[in-house]
Amino acid sequence: MSLSNLIQNWNSFRTRRPYEGQYEDAPYKWAMVIDLDSCIGCNACTVACYAENNLPVVGKERFGKGQAMHWIRIERYWGADEAKATEFPERGAEYLPMLCQQCEAAPCEPVCPVGATHHSPDGLNTQVYNRCVGSRYCSANCPYKVRYFNWWNYPDRAWPNPLELQLNPDVTVRSKGVMEKCTFCMQRLRAGMDKAKTEGRILADGEVLTACAQACPTSAITFGNWADKKSKVARMWKNQQVDLAKNSQEKSEEGIRGYRILEDLNTYPSVVYLERLRNLEA
Amino acid sequence: MNYGKRIFLWIMLFWIGSAQVFAEPFVQGGPIGSQTSDGYDALGPVVEQPIEFPHNTHAGRMQINCMYCHTYARRSNVSGIPRLDKCMGCHNLIEGVKDRPRIKKLFEYWENKQPIPWKKVHDLPDFVRFNHERHIQRFYFQEKRPIRETCGYCHGDIASMTTARRVKALSMGWCVSCHQKDHLEKAGSTVTSHGPNDCWLCHK
Repeated sequence: MSLSNLIQNWNSFRTRRPYEGQYEDAPYKWAMVIDLDSCIGCNACTVACYAENNLPVVGKERFGKGQAMHWIRIERYWGADEAKATEFPERGAEYLPMLCQQCEAAPCEPVCPVGATHHSPDGLNTQVYNRCVGSRYCSANCPYKVRYFNWWNYPDRAWPNPLELQLNPDVTVRSKGVMEKCTFCMQRLRAGMDKAKTEGRILADGEVLTACAQACPTSAITFGNWADKKSKVARMWKNQQVDLAKNSQEKSEEGIRGYRILEDLNTYPSVVYLERLRNLEA
Repeated sequence: MNYGKRIFLWIMLFWIGSAQVFAEPFVQGGPIGSQTSDGYDALGPVVEQPIEFPHNTHAGRMQINCMYCHTYARRSNVSGIPRLDKCMGCHNLIEGVKDRPRIKKLFEYWENKQPIPWKKVHDLPDFVRFNHERHIQRFYFQEKRPIRETCGYCHGDIASMTTARRVKALSMGWCVSCHQKDHLEKAGSTVTSHGPNDCWLCHK
């Protein structure tokens, strides 16, 4: 893509995706629903992600510098009302699992100088490690701050012998100078899709789960194929009145909780959050 | 640059370009050090195997299907190197060749209860996922192409070698050169399609 083409088509690029019916004929479009009301902030999803995706543990000091490599992290927020309502203000945090939102119009994609990140036909924002040159522009442009940069050559020290034997062979061990991010457990999806294709069908609902969805003890994370209108995740999107192609969601009645984070930035994320409900008077 | 030179360069460019386009999809490797028509080393580095396994006898003369030994190719990412008991299943019963030096070596491993330490010839980088199943299912089971041709797209004519040698480049550009071509969807049909080109299909 030449620079003049980029500048000329900038507006259309930002508004082109997603368009109506983009995934009508597609077999797959991966999406997620996270119910914040069910999330208890136990970090099981984070641990599962570390194990599944060969994430290095960076240590306290580097964590403090913001160099942690957690593809999914639990963010904590204290609502103003809630802090007043209890005599223990440090309690009652609201938890929000934050992972790559797999935006349909991802801000990270157009800024990569080498095209290491692009959009896959099944609606995922991909990162190709061996193409990445480490400019970190994508991370700077990501409104969710879910792209993580390898500041150190973690394979040298993160898995001392014999810990390297627990690495997942289906996932690359990233080296220094490479950006990485949540892949919706692409290795699992790919294995499932391959199996389904040989059998001449598409994946059934719930046949493949991401590591975080599988590990969640309260089933707060629902993962599935949004293009399959009968799947649980597609039905939840519909029931929560969240439209993939809109940047603000109108609800027909009170009490419908689905929303997408920072969707007014026209990112069109693939992850829907369900608002937390609390009875503060009880 | 004068006009004549420029014309000459264009002609040269076209000539080189057309040689690339019309090159055979796979050409059997020549002698060591020579190059295939697509410009890669005809034969990869020499890999010395513990036993000089004669592919030419098994796949060539005996016409044994590749997947008799490389049995996972049809249902998994990897094609699989057969276990020793696979060799012994036949060779226990073939009395006529038991005195050959290579078979004697095979029996030595069997009696010592040692696996044969085969070395990898077609090795891909760790960030690449290649799926044998997809290719075998499509070209062998769906399109009923001969197994020697199907495997030969990437492995060359193994049935004419003893131990396997890398004949194809196994580089990304080489993979893509085939995925970009229009292939007939079914034998005898006129509908063509090309291989998928999504990054995450192969990169992991």
